[in-house]
Amino acid sequence: MRPAAETKDFRRDLVSLLPKLRRFAMTLTRNANDADDLVQEACERAIARSHLWNGEGRLESWVYAMTRNLWVDEVRKRKVRTGGGAVDIFDQSELRVEAVAEKAVYANQLQKMILSMPEGLASVFLLINVEGHSYRETADILGVPIGTVMSRLSTARLRLAAMLSENTERRA
Amino acid sequence: MQQTTGQALEVRLSAYIDGELGDAERAELDALLARDEDAKVMLEKLKAGSAFGNKAFEDFLHDPVPLALVRQIKQGPGISPRAERVATANLPAPTIRVWPRVTAAAVALLLLGGAVGFIVGSTQYVAEPEGSASTRPWIDEIAEYHRIYSRQKEHLVEAPASDGPKIETWLASSVGIGFKTPDLASKGLNFEGARLLVVDGKPVGQLVYRDREGDIFAICFLKGSEEPQTDQFREDIRDNLGLVSWQKDGASLVVVGPSSHAGLRDLAETVAASI
Repeated sequence: MRPAAETKDFRRDLVSLLPKLRRFAMTLTRNANDADDLVQEACERAIARSHLWNGEGRLESWVYAMTRNLWVDEVRKRKVRTGGGAVDIFDQSELRVEAVAEKAVYANQLQKMILSMPEGLASVFLLINVEGHSYRETADILGVPIGTVMSRLSTARLRLAAMLSENTERRA
Repeated sequence: MQQTTGQALEVRLSAYIDGELGDAERAELDALLARDEDAKVMLEKLKAGSAFGNKAFEDFLHDPVPLALVRQIKQGPGISPRAERVATANLPAPTIRVWPRVTAAAVALLLLGGAVGFIVGSTQYVAEPEGSASTRPWIDEIAEYHRIYSRQKEHLVEAPASDGPKIETWLASSVGIGFKTPDLASKGLNFEGARLLVVDGKPVGQLVYRDREGDIFAICFLKGSEEPQTDQFREDIRDNLGLVSWQKDGASLVVVGPSSHAGLRDLAETVAASI
């Protein structure tokens, strides 16, 4: 059993991770309510399985992968409930913009733009470009091949560049 | 290292930016960029997208995290977030409950006239609101002050840190408590300056700090308090703020900061040992 002090450190590290974990969850769910529910579920699971965390590598990678798996399960359940079949959103070859992202109203315009990106792009961009994960780590967290990570990353960068350009033109 | 030969140019250049390519492929792309204008434009576009995305994602970190979850993780299983919220978080300050009574008293004054109205109004104003013993009104007011002042970009403090020892003299004489401004650089906090607040009619000293992410932390202290004197640390959460309070030598102190900050209690312990 994990010693009490170690457990306390794990909990503390998990609390420190919350803002980043919520941000990652937002890239998956693309709405705040689902993201908060997902973060809560992921933290409960991480605490329940904290004895499995060996302290090596980045805690966030371990928790992110758990979060991603939970979200894939949730999407699968929703698709089954709505009769759409059990399709893994990360296995889809076609990227698409979901209505939920279009409908979401966020105070921050930049956040809104990010969340309007097609599925799968924002998570890859966040992990590599913002948080400095390697391609390999990102592929492991998201459960996709490295080739998919690479193509999604370049697509995300070009889309963001286009958003920047539109934004600049609109302001001018 | 990744192999991108044969893939689209943007994919290759994206991996080039991230240093994910081997030496040979990197040299090949260096040569391409030296002679091909389109490749250069593409590289700049990818870099611009990266910079823009970084800025956008930075903003997500300023969103508040679920507070019940913070408490649940910190305190372990068996804590019901809902019960916790009811027990300690964000209870209405007694002043809020007083206002309807004051209004009622004012109406009574108008209707009933001078002396009777005054008596009714006064009696109701001083009436003890229900549950006031558990609401910790001074903590609530400190949280409200912090919420407002921490958003002030240009007027965060009344006396800037550059005033140095004058701050200690000023606040000590105003609040009636001698203190030493804690150096919290080891905790990643930079001292910004101070303010004098008034809580429940008493002067309160506020020392303001900022961390590297721009989050604001404060140490507030006032002389005495109606709470029982104890040197135990107590944690409260008010919306997106965490407060760790304690008493020492007849003074009440509290450290305020973002509730998502995991080290708030450690910070309070450091402050208690150095102030």
